[in-house]
Amino acid sequence: MNYDRLESKIQQAVTHMTPDVLDSVLADCKEQKGKIAMTDTKKRNPWKRRVAGIAAALVLLVTGVFGAQRYTAGAVASTISLDVNPSVEIQVNQKEDVLAVNPLNDDGKIVVGDMDFRGSSLDVTVNALIGSMLRNGYLSELNNSILVSVDGKNTSELQARLSEEIAKLLRTSAFDGAVLSQTVAENSDLQAKADAYGITLGKAQLISRIIEKNPLHTFEELAPLTINQLNLMCQSGNLALEQVDSTGSASDKAYIGSEKAKSIALKHASLSASEIAQFEWEMDFEHGVMVYDIEFTCGGYEYDYEINARSGEVIQADRERDNDDDDDYDDNDDDDAVSSGSGSFVISAADAKAAALKHAGLSASQISQYECQKDYENGKAVYEIEFKYNGYEYSYDIDAATGKVAAYDREHDDDAVSANTGTSSSAISAADAKAAALKHAGLSASQISRYEFCKDYENGKTIYEIEFMYNGYEYSYDIDAANGNILHAERELDD
Amino acid sequence: MAYMTSVNAMPAVSVELDNCLFRLAQGETAALEPLYRETSASVYGFALSILKNTHDAEDILHDCYLHICSAAESYRSTGKPMAWILTIVRNLCLQKMRQAKKQYDLPQEDWEPYLESSETMTLEEKLLLKECMERLTDEEREIVMLHAVAGFKHREIAHMMDMALATVLSKYHRAMKKLQKYA
Repeated sequence: MNYDRLESKIQQAVTHMTPDVLDSVLADCKEQKGKIAMTDTKKRNPWKRRVAGIAAALVLLVTGVFGAQRYTAGAVASTISLDVNPSVEIQVNQKEDVLAVNPLNDDGKIVVGDMDFRGSSLDVTVNALIGSMLRNGYLSELNNSILVSVDGKNTSELQARLSEEIAKLLRTSAFDGAVLSQTVAENSDLQAKADAYGITLGKAQLISRIIEKNPLHTFEELAPLTINQLNLMCQSGNLALEQVDSTGSASDKAYIGSEKAKSIALKHASLSASEIAQFEWEMDFEHGVMVYDIEFTCGGYEYDYEINARSGEVIQADRERDNDDDDDYDDNDDDDAVSSGSGSFVISAADAKAAALKHAGLSASQISQYECQKDYENGKAVYEIEFKYNGYEYSYDIDAATGKVAAYDREHDDDAVSANTGTSSSAISAADAKAAALKHAGLSASQISRYEFCKDYENGKTIYEIEFMYNGYEYSYDIDAANGNILHAERELDD
Repeated sequence: MAYMTSVNAMPAVSVELDNCLFRLAQGETAALEPLYRETSASVYGFALSILKNTHDAEDILHDCYLHICSAAESYRSTGKPMAWILTIVRNLCLQKMRQAKKQYDLPQEDWEPYLESSETMTLEEKLLLKECMERLTDEEREIVMLHAVAGFKHREIAHMMDMALATVLSKYHRAMKKLQKYA
């Protein structure tokens, strides 16, 4: 069986194996949506004042009722911390009655103010704290992200409930919030850092996870950032933090926006949007400010820009030969440095193209959608070449030092209708290959049965795969199409 | 400009998926169905190749689309919607395995009875997938799923799995060789 057939069989088998859960997903999706719709009805009200007012009233009421009989019930069962930029920690007992609310930084003190939450329920407390954060402008259209961290018992259930609740609270205001939530585990090292920087253990854990993903950052650098800034970095950079659940999008309204940043970078490079490829952007924190980190390629160069996310100023501009080993830290502002990277591109791109075409047995006029890029594979400089011909997509890695084919692949181009005429660098014919296999087996053509023949490509080589039966045995051969050498011979009892 | 001739044109499938995600982000739940039909086998196959447990893979299948529903707004088109979806799958799988580890509840490989009792598959298909699960290494299986089922090019898989193209190719060919023997 050839690869194409085998691949489509695998695909079909997996398709048939896959259970159909669409209905249950749709039901759950609708449930999610239903909840949103319900809260939306409150949207028209000037929410900020109302909720804060209601919450404050509730707190008074609750403390009024329970204040006298002072809650002594039980030890701390869970600690919930909320970080926006204010950091506040809530301790609750088993019944989720609040034992204490501790502001961990100056902003946190403003949020808590003189509200006394002891004995209130967790829901009321969270409600009031979010209301206060909105009223004091800590949560706004420009800064809409909050981190919820939970430790203690039943953490994941509590985490899910709180993050949903808070998302709901934020959604009813004039903007959509973004909620990050996670469970935290006790960790004395992290706790020490959290104490030193006046942040919660939860925020410390989030920062250490970001650093794990991007070791260029330091704790000291990230600790003062707001959750919104951290969230922007995570979301724009696709830093998928596995243990952090995220809903909503971090607001970038305080910044110039990725499109504006792109146009600034293009203007600086004197290029137009249609000329560039592989455009990527992310938000990052560099040189003490939020920046748009913009990358794209053009004409075999990789451009790397850092644009001040507020002012649009070009902080750093870098242009270098397209390669992966970017350890070039020049900080020329206006004069784009061209660096050659660590490997050496001895042969030219044209030579590499010629080598690939020669290997494929094709001429430049036959192929289409030709692309060539410089790259490094395992520290070696290579030209990555791709082109299409006759319904196939060819990919080559050409060693840039020697011009040799380092890796080679040819596969069906999905969008093209394949004509199965095949082109190859085969020097020997199918008949020669059959003769070579028969000779090796010590058999003649008339003795064998169920003869099968197919052409394939392996590790950059064109090979003939031959199978046949004789006397209860199945013979299989791989024959090098370039020289007729037998690469693999196998005989096994056919059962 | 000598050798950067074209910005890759997006394949038709990706355009369609991008479109579905965009509609989902606008709150149009109906866009989930075409997205699901197009991608569910890739999602399930990939999850199963990582977890090797059909119950868990089914959970991931469900959670993945729920996640897509709620996260569609944060999707930014890079022309690779399938890669975005499979990143979600991989993360959900890792999360699942970590949870299992914490609870000392390592799931058993349960695909064999599942295959046997399946009524939607032919015998030939059952045997082929049995070989996939049994004879391939985890890496080989992931590569086969990504290429044969999800339709990624070898070069894209090399990027996704952070391997050299030549490594992906040789693993892929080794895997297909193994399967050819029994297919």
